[in-house]
Parts: sequence; C-alpha cells; structure tokens
Amino acid sequence: MYSLAIIDYIIVIGYLSGMIGVGVWFAKKHTDFEDFFLAGRSLTTPILITTLISTYYGIDVLFGDTQLAFTDGVVAWFGYARPTYAFFLIAALLLAKRLREKDFKSLPDILYLYYGNKARYVGALTSFIYSLPALSLYGFGMLAEVALGWEPIFGMLILGGIALVYTLTGGFWAVALTDSIQFVMMCLVIAIAFPFAMNFIGGFDSMIELLPESYFDTLGDLNIFLIIIYASTGLSILVEPTFYQRIFAAKSYKNVRNALIIGIFIWGSYDWIITILAMSAKTAVLQGLLPTDVAPDAALLTVVIAALPAGIVGLFIAGVLSTEMSTLDSYCLVAGGNVSYDIYKPAFKPDVSDKELIKITRYGVLLSWILGFGMATAFKQMLGLWVFLSSILISSTLVPILLGLYIKKFRKPLAGFISSGSGLFSTIILNIYIMAKGTFDPLEETYIVQWFGIDFLQEFVMYITVPISLIGFIIGLLIERRIEK
Amino acid sequence: MSYWEIFTWLTVIILGLGSIMVFLLFVRDIKIILKKFRED
Repeated sequence: MYSLAIIDYIIVIGYLSGMIGVGVWFAKKHTDFEDFFLAGRSLTTPILITTLISTYYGIDVLFGDTQLAFTDGVVAWFGYARPTYAFFLIAALLLAKRLREKDFKSLPDILYLYYGNKARYVGALTSFIYSLPALSLYGFGMLAEVALGWEPIFGMLILGGIALVYTLTGGFWAVALTDSIQFVMMCLVIAIAFPFAMNFIGGFDSMIELLPESYFDTLGDLNIFLIIIYASTGLSILVEPTFYQRIFAAKSYKNVRNALIIGIFIWGSYDWIITILAMSAKTAVLQGLLPTDVAPDAALLTVVIAALPAGIVGLFIAGVLSTEMSTLDSYCLVAGGNVSYDIYKPAFKPDVSDKELIKITRYGVLLSWILGFGMATAFKQMLGLWVFLSSILISSTLVPILLGLYIKKFRKPLAGFISSGSGLFSTIILNIYIMAKGTFDPLEETYIVQWFGIDFLQEFVMYITVPISLIGFIIGLLIERRIEK
Repeated sequence: MSYWEIFTWLTVIILGLGSIMVFLLFVRDIKIILKKFRED
C-alpha cells in the first residue's frame, strides 16, 4: 500500500464533500419526475459529452482494458476498445435519431410502446438486474484496499455510500453535474499520469525492449474467437439503459450526435493511455520495480500510485473515485427508474403523482445499491458476473428493440414478449449450466465447458441466446399472424 | 521516438486539451442552467 501525504487526503476529502454538496443543493429543486429522472430533457452537447464518457467508464477501466493490456498488450485497445467506437458511431448516426422520435423515458418504455406491458416488464427486470452496481462497488473495495489500505468492505460502504447519497437526493441533475466534474478529473489525471509512468520505468523504449513482441501485435496472442467476443461486447451500447437515458435527456438529436462524435476521440485517447499505463505496469514488474504478484486488474492503480508524486496522487485517487462514482450513480438511478416508472406505475398505480414517483425511484435506487452490495461481497469472479449481467440485457432486449425501432410491421406484442422472455430465460439457464458443469480457468478468468470437443467459454453464451431471442421473435410474429387470419 | 510513443503523446494532447475545452463549454452551459434553477 502507498502511504498518502496530507495534501492527498485533503484533495480526496474535498472532492467527496463537493459531491455530497451537489446532491444536497439539488435535493429540493425537482419540479416533476421528468426533471428528476431526465434533467428536464435539457442536456446540451458539452454536458452530454461529460456525462456519457464518465458514466461509460468505470467497469472497463478497472476490469476490462487494463487487465487485458497488462496480460496481452495493445490488443486490449485494438481488439476490445476500438470496435466499441464503431458501435458508438452507429448509435450517433442511426440509433439516436430513432430514439428521439418519441418521448421515451426509459429503455422498457420502448418495449411498452411497440409490444405492450408484458415485454416492458421483462425489459424492466433485465435493465434493473444489469444496472445493479455490483462491479462499481467491487471497484471501490479494490481501490480502497490498494490506495488507502482499507478493508474492501469499508471502501464499498463509505465511497459507494457517498455516491448513493447524492444520487438519492439530487437525481439526474446531480448525476449529470457530478459526472461533468468527474469527467475532467478522470481525463486530466490519466493524461498527467503518462509522463510520470514513463519516467518511473525509464522511458517508453523500456517497454519496447522488455515486453514480449506479442504485446505490440495488434491482434496479440488471443485467439480470433475471443477477440470477436470481446469486440461484440460493444453491442451492449445499442441497448445500454444509461446510454438511452442520456439520449432521452438531451435537448435535441443534434446534441446527442455531436456529443457522440466528439466523445469518440476522447474515448479513444483515454482507452489508449490506460492501455499503455497497464503495459508500463507489466514493464515495472519485469524490472522489479513492482511486486510480481500484482493482480492484473489492479495493475493500473498500482503503477500510477507508485509513479506519481504527493498531491498528484490525491488528484489521481479522486479521479479514479470519479470514474467509479459516475458509473455507480448513473446505474443506480436507472435501476430506481425501472422500479418506479417501468414496474410500479403501470402495474400498481397508473395515476401515481410525480412526487410519489420520485419517492419510489429513491427507494429503487436504494434497493439496487443494497442488492449490488450483496453481489459485490458474495461473488468472487467479477469478470464472469459482468459477462453474465451484460448477456442478460443483450439477449433479452437487443432483438425486440432494434426490430421494433426499424420495422413497423414487426411491432406485435407476442413477438416482443416471446423474444425478450426467451432471451432472458435461455441466458439464465445457460449461465447456470456452464457455472455448474464447467471448470473455472484462472488464465482465461472464465468458466469453460466442453461441447463436442470445443472449449465453450461463458462469454460465448450470447452467441446462442441472441439467436434464440430472434427465433422467439419470429415464432411470436407467426402466431400473431395466424391469430389475425 | 517510436510510432507507438508519438501516437501515445498525441492521445495525451487530445485527452488533456479536449477535456479542458469540453469542461469550459460545460461551465458556460451550466451557468445558464443554474441561473434558471435560482430563478425558479
């Protein structure tokens, strides 16, 4: 553990107090549910850029990109991060415009409009499960352990608790405003960290000399199927509930499009620098500057904390806290909205007042935080959990949402319900089967089961479940047509 | 200096300057929004 200087503590405490202050300031300023949940649909391009980038980063930074970069090199950017930008571009040019054509408030709202309440409830359930902040809370635990020397559970409770407080009190305005402050902090500290990390390992050339050649191979040592799988995780953008929330909260489609196109350059730069920083951590291990037992997912934190001087370390920790907080607050708020707007209102009280809806959303935020905390402390394999959560969302919503958005005659209630239901059901069954019957491979950090002589990884599940969802959709369509005839 | 290093410095500049510029524009917009809140 690195021992922090007083200035570092002052910076971190100042930052955390500021976040709570923002939440308290906004606490009584909401006029209605739309204002609380979508900031009155008034987000401009700069606010959208900051909130989109800071929300989307968190999980990837700590568990995906840097872990892969530490073990495999630049393929983390070329194979894992880069394809995501293509999905962002698709979202900017094609998807966002469609999503702005109606006054949607949430992802399940789309399922409701095209397929009715049954599909909406399935969508609300999967969106809620996907939005549980287990990974962010786990990230807080890890950060507290590596940087502050705390027990992980205290890190989760204290740091995650602060994000919970300002989300509960301030709603989406507080989330968007804190995201913006968090955005500039996380970007600047990563940019500042690069020269210090290079100085720590003796320059960029040390990496080229010491790391195996495969670290600079754009496809690395990874098998092509795994690269395709990693790349296709970017598909989740097309049905990401927090991403949708920001599209709905924008002033206009133009704001979303511009924010996404500008954001791609910042995303790309951020991803590349953290890839290089994780590789510098590997170099430092080979040089004996860092211990050999550095966990791959803690590599970025370890090398940067070791390389930065006092004061800047405080900024860096505040920046990493920002990365996680901006993710946690956004997901908790979406989960809260799923409980109140997508389940409570249509199922129990259609004429609910805005005041009560805000209250129920706050209960939902709290519920999601508690469940996320339970998962973060109970599960050991966070990467596996992340794959499971995203495959649930993609498998149950990708097909009905995209087909519903683009093909009018496909908007049949049974098609939407069977598609989302079969996607959800098959994902749960397959994941349970693989975890129960397969073996955990510590190298791949995933469960593997042997099928017909082929190693079937847990990450491959959605290659079965998305087609199942599509088949379910077609079956639903055929039944509907038969009934109509 | 290798192409990898040049590319990395380029991304450092994009990230550093880009985030400051976006943040300045954000401050301009948020001033107007907060003013509206105070009036309400």
